[in-house]
Amino acid sequence: MTDTTDLESLRSQVRAWLDANAPRGWRDAYKTMSHEQFAQAQRDWFQKLVEGGYAVPHWPAEWPGGGRGLAEQKVIYEELARADCPRLLLSFVSTYHAASTLFECGNDEQKARYLPAILKGETWCQGFSEPNAGSDLASLKCRAERRGDVYVVNGQKVWSTMAQYADKCLLLVRTSSEGAKQAGITFLLMDMKAKGVTVRPINQIQDDQEYCEMFLDDVEVPVSDRVGEEGAGWAVSQATLSSERGLTLMELSYRMRGALWRIAELIRKTGREGDAGVLRDFGQLVTRVDSACAIADRFLENRLMGIEGVGDASIVKNTYSRVLREYSLLGLRLGGMDEQYHSTITYGDLNTGNWMADFMNSYAWTIAGGSEEVQRNIISERMLGMQREPKGWVL
Amino acid sequence: MIELSELRDSAQKAFPADQLIPNREESWNLVAEMGWLMIEVPEEDGGLGLGADAAATILYELGRVLAGAPIIPQMLTLRAICAAQGLENRGEWIERLCGGEYVPLNVLPSAITMTTDADGTRRLSGVLPGVAEADMAGHVLICASDIYTLAPLDAPGITVTERKLWDHSRRLFDVTLDGYAVDPALVLAEGSEARAPIEQRLYSGVLLAIAADSLGGAAACLDMTVEYLKTRKQFDRALAMFQALKHRIADLKTQVVAAEALFWSRAGDAGVSVVDLGAAKALASDVYRMVVEEAIQLHGGIGLTEEHQCHLFMKRAMLNLQLGGNLDFLREQAGRAALARFAA
Repeated sequence: MTDTTDLESLRSQVRAWLDANAPRGWRDAYKTMSHEQFAQAQRDWFQKLVEGGYAVPHWPAEWPGGGRGLAEQKVIYEELARADCPRLLLSFVSTYHAASTLFECGNDEQKARYLPAILKGETWCQGFSEPNAGSDLASLKCRAERRGDVYVVNGQKVWSTMAQYADKCLLLVRTSSEGAKQAGITFLLMDMKAKGVTVRPINQIQDDQEYCEMFLDDVEVPVSDRVGEEGAGWAVSQATLSSERGLTLMELSYRMRGALWRIAELIRKTGREGDAGVLRDFGQLVTRVDSACAIADRFLENRLMGIEGVGDASIVKNTYSRVLREYSLLGLRLGGMDEQYHSTITYGDLNTGNWMADFMNSYAWTIAGGSEEVQRNIISERMLGMQREPKGWVL
Repeated sequence: MIELSELRDSAQKAFPADQLIPNREESWNLVAEMGWLMIEVPEEDGGLGLGADAAATILYELGRVLAGAPIIPQMLTLRAICAAQGLENRGEWIERLCGGEYVPLNVLPSAITMTTDADGTRRLSGVLPGVAEADMAGHVLICASDIYTLAPLDAPGITVTERKLWDHSRRLFDVTLDGYAVDPALVLAEGSEARAPIEQRLYSGVLLAIAADSLGGAAACLDMTVEYLKTRKQFDRALAMFQALKHRIADLKTQVVAAEALFWSRAGDAGVSVVDLGAAKALASDVYRMVVEEAIQLHGGIGLTEEHQCHLFMKRAMLNLQLGGNLDFLREQAGRAALARFAA
């Protein structure tokens, strides 16, 4: 189904459903909630989307709400952004990263055990990064030793989003130190309730607690929860990381565009409607936001046609993250001293109009998911063919 | 229906990337032969009837090679004539222009005064700035605040003077009118009501054209700079290996691709507003500026020599910032429109 009229009819279906079901007043509600209540509100909204058939449009057709093409997924996300629904932060790793890993690399038993549970609300987190393995992920050291039917895992993980609420974890461990560092990595599915798992939320600079660190102390993971062969974890992790295919950045770009009224409101509130300098900066920002939407759109359209060049996704990400920073900085500037007085943040949103919080939050996109600097390397080396530095430099 | 990719391919074949500033007359003849002057002319007027994005596709490629042939003014004059239902012999004029007879217009705002003699003859006086390659032309389209009219450049009361630009790839002339007597047979429109639709076509046309030219130039200049960094060696390695330089290039590439995405989404939208086109032009021309500014720096000393091509891109980019409205004007206009859109 890619016909325009079909897409428009899907659009009106989604819109009608959202009119009846989208949570109202959630921005205020999310502000007065504890973080635990926020997580519960996220679970409730996810369940509602599952019932409506819009939670996992990217899953295969045999799943309820699945089987939607990219063009249809785009329509659904556009409408979710337009209706200003809460983003699905808590279930994001489950429905994209975990699902994509299982669909592409999981065995039948793993699929049958874990996929239906996701739709019932089981949530996943990602245990990839470590204190000494950030941009250089392949140097990870969290160790797993095979003892009979289990792996015994010891080590530390960090930056695991919403891990404090997660039921399961996509875990990268080192099973061998021989050969290339990528070759000794194995992919495990870990139960977060297993003995020896300690999760500590990280207090972030903007008062949020989205990220956690994880300490693994003799944690036993059954061998049956290994995805792929021992030592093949790096390849499996690539399936995990390429799972969301640009939809998130399209959704976020549209949400940013939908939030531009906040700047307009600030210009009025501060009586600067006639200030040419302010109007120019606003005009420039609006144009930059539009270009972020245009490039996210184009990236998706290219994917629809099956053409995606190496580095394309990096350009989309670096554009969005920079524009997001510019957006929050203009808000901060216009807000002036008022913004320096602390106010409570809204969980789970990037364009809240709490400009200090939005500014700090914007770093999530220049640092997480492959830093801006890593993307620049991809663009310059892999897209434009600029020579790599020689490997194995000894300092 | 001709695909944009076919147009692009044939433009790249006609104007290979390694021949910058191709000969003006030869390129002009080639463009006319290919039928590209009539791209936007409606089919009922004998043209190809393609959209603005088709014209932009050609202009992008001509921007890549810094073409001097004045396709942009010719397309604009054709836009005006096609929209001027009142012009005598309109069909004939369209045919002449599509065939390659060059009729430029002032792409910069003019201050022309109009007086009327006792016998009803109207006379125009003042300067028309920004008439491109006027030495190739027999007629000019005068765009003044009271009137749009064609005029023969050898008529009494008209003088043509070149104003030398820093940009080597284009030439601009001032056309001075000193009591030039308007020929009623050559008038396109008179009075604000008749002028409005033509003005709209001209304004959106120039924004689209300069944006396309800027993006083509930015892409070519960035390619050239990347190639230079890959081959130039210092400290026993290619400059391209230095991460500090890689990251600057990656940022430029990101800026260029984002500006292109915005531009093509708007060029392909028949209902796009002049304000939105202006915003796309502002972004495109500013990104061109970023690229040329860095290109000279990254080339180092060679970028400051006349024999190297860097300065050719730089000078054209700086001129493009001014044509069709500058950044201050276009950004303020975009900001004002957005503010109105988000009315409380």
